[in-house]
Amino acid sequence: MIRFKSIISRIVILHVIAVAITSVLMSVALSWLLNLATNNIHNEAMEEQAASLAQHLVLQADGTLSLELPPNLQGLYSQPYGRYSYAVTDEGGKTLFSSLNDKAAVFPADPRASAVQFLETHVGDAAISGASIRRSIDDKTVWVQAAEDLANRDVLIDDIVDDFYKHVGWITLPILLVLLVTDIAIFRRALLPLRRASEIAQQIGPARTDIRLPVGEIPSEVTPLVSAINKALDRLDEGFRLQREFTADAAHELRTPLSILRARVETLDDPRVAKALHMDIEAMSRVVGQLLDIAELEAFAIDPSEVADLQGACAEVAEFIAPLALEQGREIALLGATDPVWVKGNAEMMKRAIRNLAENAIRHTPKETVVEFVVEESGTVTVQDCGPGISDEERKLIFQRFWRRDRNQQGSTGLGLSIVQRIAELHGATIDVQNRVMGGAQFSLHFVRTSAPS
Amino acid sequence: MRLLVVEDNALLSELLAKGLRTAGYETDLLATAAEAHAALMTTTYAAIILDLGLPDGDGLSVLRELRHRKDPTPVLVLTARGGLQDRVSGLRSGADDYMVKPFALEELVARLEALLRRPGQQLGSSLHIANLGFDLRSRQATIDDQPQVLSSRETAVLELLMRSKGRVVSKKQVEDHIFGLSGEVASNAVEVYVHRLRKQLSDKGAKVQIHTIRGVGYLIAEEKRDPV
Repeated sequence: MIRFKSIISRIVILHVIAVAITSVLMSVALSWLLNLATNNIHNEAMEEQAASLAQHLVLQADGTLSLELPPNLQGLYSQPYGRYSYAVTDEGGKTLFSSLNDKAAVFPADPRASAVQFLETHVGDAAISGASIRRSIDDKTVWVQAAEDLANRDVLIDDIVDDFYKHVGWITLPILLVLLVTDIAIFRRALLPLRRASEIAQQIGPARTDIRLPVGEIPSEVTPLVSAINKALDRLDEGFRLQREFTADAAHELRTPLSILRARVETLDDPRVAKALHMDIEAMSRVVGQLLDIAELEAFAIDPSEVADLQGACAEVAEFIAPLALEQGREIALLGATDPVWVKGNAEMMKRAIRNLAENAIRHTPKETVVEFVVEESGTVTVQDCGPGISDEERKLIFQRFWRRDRNQQGSTGLGLSIVQRIAELHGATIDVQNRVMGGAQFSLHFVRTSAPS
Repeated sequence: MRLLVVEDNALLSELLAKGLRTAGYETDLLATAAEAHAALMTTTYAAIILDLGLPDGDGLSVLRELRHRKDPTPVLVLTARGGLQDRVSGLRSGADDYMVKPFALEELVARLEALLRRPGQQLGSSLHIANLGFDLRSRQATIDDQPQVLSSRETAVLELLMRSKGRVVSKKQVEDHIFGLSGEVASNAVEVYVHRLRKQLSDKGAKVQIHTIRGVGYLIAEEKRDPV
């Protein structure tokens, strides 16, 4: 069975079927009604004929009845003409008068018959239909029958029906077609709010969980579906909210004790112990911070309309990280573009990614060397160091969570590059890892270039 | 100088108070947003250290209320949330600085001092890095407590660098600071002044170093002793 997906196609098909059935039913109903009408006319005529025949019944002095028909009536019932016939019967069922050759009654005499009766009989092929009325003349009761041979009547009705279709009936088809077109138009109009709702639904995403479909204009038949969708969105929104809250709570629960620990260590008397503990706390804080970053990134989505200045973001990261680099005897330089480079995405996220790349670079570059940030007009930022570079085997591993070249190296959590990768994914950016000709590794992030915000 | 510390963790706020007392500050410790609201209606503090995660609500509400009253008291926000939205909303609500837990007490004190030294704030006095001193009122630089003669532009650059001790000052900031809005600035003017200042300081035996961070700006720091 063919399934019609769209409501419009269903309407068209059902409508066509309805039109076909209606056409058939209409002709059937029309002939039936015409039949009924002609029957009624015929019956009335027959009754009248019987009544006028009855007027010509005369009671004779000897108590018998005579029927004296005027010439026009005689002509009507004359045998050669044959269309109309009459008979008069008495209470005993005896036929008193008859226009038929055999002088028999047209319809079998029935003494119990009521005042007016419409009867039908068949003689050979011919259908005889007529009326029988009861008349009392003095104390005698007689039944006057008048009938007509219907041999040609059906043909007549068929002619009328045919004629109707030829001259009037054709108009039903255009009317039905106009109705069909009207129906389609009405439906399209009724479905318009649904189309609008779909357009609104297009905008819903992890970044915009606050959008709800408008219920106001939606046809009431579809409202339950739309409300159910809105409720489902509410639940999803709640889920996102809980996830965000969890991250915030976890951050609080983990970072506050670390702060206490740190403050306690700072008040220790022995500076060597304090320094060692301090480094441990630093390392732990980094792991906690990066884990929370990852948790946050899982539930984070970027507003597609957001734009950020990549050059500005790099400058901020360089500013932030330069004191730390200098403390460790490494330098930072920001090269390339000096004007804003607008790319699609979230500035804070970009800063995080660049910062993680920079922290990695600082860890791997030898003392007295420079970690360079190169910003290109095309929307690319490259962070390059002068370290040992990355071997081909390592290239596949470096983005895995918790992977470290040297598991005992201080300050490395193995999470930095997986954060960078996740942020790149969120931005539709690509990461490019290469070794520099003069030694060292370089990581490039290619963001999607866009125009300056208005 | 009296500071208000709004932090719900009693242990942390005790340790904070202890550390701040060592640095020369008296503190009032409060644990809830409601208490903070009440205290700020009646008392004026030199600065406020505000934790965002309070048991009876968001610390940001205290901050918004304060700024709504046009109270300029510097506010340093402490937060366990390093989240993107949190940072942005914290600074938009009028926080002067922002530190994510766990923080170094030393850095907290340094940032607090930077806030208190802002124009209109209470801390005036002088700034020190190693043997280099700079008096903010007289705008006098000293090396080993000996007053030094510097040109007004060199003094301006030094002041800016000293005020931002431990942080990078962008080239643009230096330009704005020494030339203000007065017309054209030669593209290498800042380099020239920094170079002169660097030379002056090293000639006169200051144990500080002005680092150039290429493409970014400048940073003054204690001179690294012989690398081990």
